[in-house]
Amino acid sequence: MAYTFNFPDVGEGIHEGRVVEWLVSAGDSVSEDQPLLKVETDKAVVELPSPKAGMVLELHATSDATIEVGDPLVTIGQTGETTPATAGGVRPAPSTLRLAPKVEAPGSAPVAARRPLATPRTRARARELGVDLTAVRGSGPGGRITDDDVKRASTTSNAPAVEPVRQPRTMPAAVAETIADGEVERVPVSHLRKVIANAMRTSKQTSAHVTHVDEADVTELVEHYRTVKAAVEAEGGRFTLLPFFVKALVTVLKRYPIFNASVDEERQEILLKKTYNIGIAVDTPDGLIVPVIRNADRKDMVELAAEIGDLADRARLRQLRLDELRGGTCTITNIGPLGGIFATPIINQPELAIVGLHRIQERPVVIDGEVAVRKMMYLSVSFDHRWIDGADGARFMSDLVRLLSKPGLLMARL
Amino acid sequence: MVVGSVSRGCQVVVIGAGPGGYVAALRLAQLGKDVILVDKGPRLGGVCLNVGCIPSKALIHAADLSWEVQHAAAMGLSVEGVSIDLPKLVAWKDGIVERLTGGIDFLCSKNGVEVVYGTARFASDRSLSVSTEDGQGEVEFQQAVIATGSEAMQLPGLRFDGRRVVGSSEVLSLNEVPDRLAVIGAGYIGLELGTVYAKLGSKVTVVEFLPEIVPGLDRDVAKALQRQLKKLGVKLLLEHRAESFVDGDEPALVTTGPDGAEVRVPADLVMMSVGRVPRSRDLGLETIGVATDDKGFITVDDRQRTNVPGIYAIGDVTGGALLAHKAYQEAKVAAEVIAGEPAAFDSVAIPAVIYTDPEVAWTGMTEREAQDAGHAVRTGTFSFKASGRAMTLDATDGFIKVIADAESRQLLGVTAVGRGVSELMGEATLALEMGAFLEDVGLTIHPHPTMSEAFQEAIEAALGKAVHQVNT
Repeated sequence: MAYTFNFPDVGEGIHEGRVVEWLVSAGDSVSEDQPLLKVETDKAVVELPSPKAGMVLELHATSDATIEVGDPLVTIGQTGETTPATAGGVRPAPSTLRLAPKVEAPGSAPVAARRPLATPRTRARARELGVDLTAVRGSGPGGRITDDDVKRASTTSNAPAVEPVRQPRTMPAAVAETIADGEVERVPVSHLRKVIANAMRTSKQTSAHVTHVDEADVTELVEHYRTVKAAVEAEGGRFTLLPFFVKALVTVLKRYPIFNASVDEERQEILLKKTYNIGIAVDTPDGLIVPVIRNADRKDMVELAAEIGDLADRARLRQLRLDELRGGTCTITNIGPLGGIFATPIINQPELAIVGLHRIQERPVVIDGEVAVRKMMYLSVSFDHRWIDGADGARFMSDLVRLLSKPGLLMARL
Repeated sequence: MVVGSVSRGCQVVVIGAGPGGYVAALRLAQLGKDVILVDKGPRLGGVCLNVGCIPSKALIHAADLSWEVQHAAAMGLSVEGVSIDLPKLVAWKDGIVERLTGGIDFLCSKNGVEVVYGTARFASDRSLSVSTEDGQGEVEFQQAVIATGSEAMQLPGLRFDGRRVVGSSEVLSLNEVPDRLAVIGAGYIGLELGTVYAKLGSKVTVVEFLPEIVPGLDRDVAKALQRQLKKLGVKLLLEHRAESFVDGDEPALVTTGPDGAEVRVPADLVMMSVGRVPRSRDLGLETIGVATDDKGFITVDDRQRTNVPGIYAIGDVTGGALLAHKAYQEAKVAAEVIAGEPAAFDSVAIPAVIYTDPEVAWTGMTEREAQDAGHAVRTGTFSFKASGRAMTLDATDGFIKVIADAESRQLLGVTAVGRGVSELMGEATLALEMGAFLEDVGLTIHPHPTMSEAFQEAIEAALGKAVHQVNT
């Protein structure tokens, strides 16, 4: 019996995606779990495996087509079977075309939406944590949703569900005028770029951004780092300076929990998070991606260095899983290597703060009445002034600067 | 409550002290709210405690007892000259009602709930005008919970006259057993009280407009129940429309049969139980814009919120199953939502019971509902004819049917008819709420010998491995 595979809900808040590449074509036979296609969703490119074995009868979306959850992707059946309801092969689909109407496989009468299988206690827990059980996949027997599943879903769904904003059909007059003047190359906006654009606009519209900047003398820190790096590398490890900043940040976040928080505006409650999941902004050829280091407080610096390296590598290759991009509680953006004095980063919603690390540079500094050459760096923190006062921003930064200036102190606080 | 023109403020006002209202008030008080509970009176507890669930069960038990001792000859019990002193039975029943309603009074005072007897009407979305014996008062509130319940509906041609044509409330407090009782409506109230008076010696005729008893009831159950009603001597006139009552020497209920012919049912008393309507009028809902459906039931969401911020509604007045235990649950949800807790009404199953003889009870989906919902349905039944316990109770009529999804084997519903099956519904509903699979119940040891074993046996039958009956 022919079976139509619809674009499944691959993760919370994902409504649409873009077909990057088909890995099979009509007439191919596929085995269960064999990857069928690559889809770009939100910030990751995922491979969708075949739910059934059989022959590919028809592809319902062309490469580059935008697809929504529930749209038919492919019909799989037996040799000689034809696709129900639709005739003909792959339809030419310009990227903006809404896809073919849903094709229901005959024989599988649609069942009215079933209730998620969960006990009353688990359902109450889900309400408490604001988790939509219909979006949770149960790990228990028969797909039963457990308390742990709910807890996991609540920590991975902190990231904003980015509503895809439909581009207006008509172009603003000002834009049209500019275009009329001279030669212009039209480049389609990538899915990732749309997501970034929305996230940035939403953040700027949501939070009352204010940025506080200070400088730290990291001479000692860099010296210490060099010693450690040599030792770690001698053991075959990988080490960078970034873990020191992650650790220093976590230490300060524990002291100022409001910087590791979100706000439930509907209920007027501040959610002080007891986990320290630090997002690391990574510059990739396709655009900004922010993988998250979970439980950074429970990992040592060598582990952190390895994890950051791995996440950054895979971010550049677009191989991150969705859950590696979600659930951050505070974010670091390391702009230093790219130059500049300092910048004013935009908060990664629904977090309340983002810390910018800027270039380390030797500068003359007056110490005890004498000019000395020291390794100096600017640090910035953008925070949501609605919930955090400027004075707290200054205190937060002073503590961070102190820990970075005196690595011994940082070590003592680990 | 200060009466006269002086107004009084509170955090939450609850209107109606039935199972919904008093539970909401108590839970709100437990959650630290300053609560006023307004009720028409004269006693708290609403229909359920005063003229519904509780008093009817008292009469049902007495009728059962009297019936049983007179039908135990096979066990060697012969009892001669059983007499029924109806006023005394009614007084015993009233004593129970008094104890229970007094219990609510006690709980209210211990929890600091202020009770006001009077009729409430919304003056605005933040104030209620209350008419009491002493005059007019005003209660200002931040939130209000409407729990005014429902009342018996009347047919166009027949009005309650308090004498010959009465509702179920009056039938619970008769002075003598009527010779001939005509019951209009074969719903659960009509069948329960019809059974009571049949057992107490009345000649009972139940007149039903529809072609079936208790619409929506499992057909196998309806058949079993109809058989038993016949044994009790209850005459069932289906597809007969009650038109009017003629008093005089030959008092009778006039009905129209399926062929259009007039059928007279001789009756000394007519009980009209043709459905219930919400008590949502005269509350001033229109002045504050609370939305109701076309039947007057207040529309609420799963947090019991009406469309007007701060105004909640629970229980019968919101429609759905008009059952006290549904109101209890909704009351707790409303109270907790008001207190800022993340509560919601998300129960999988609301059990229901008809206290006929034998009892009828169900929870979750019926077989038909499961099919309509698109499930491939697998059922299993166990007849009480094969139950040792049922035989010792001389109550082998009836069966349990379990309804499950054939693919996943998840239990979807339980329907039962038989002695005391009401008590099995707690377990069955727990199984549904926990999302039990057939195996979960099948592998649970049930005490022997009990009626509850039949549940396990029916489950095993659904799994094709019943022990005490031949698998089909």
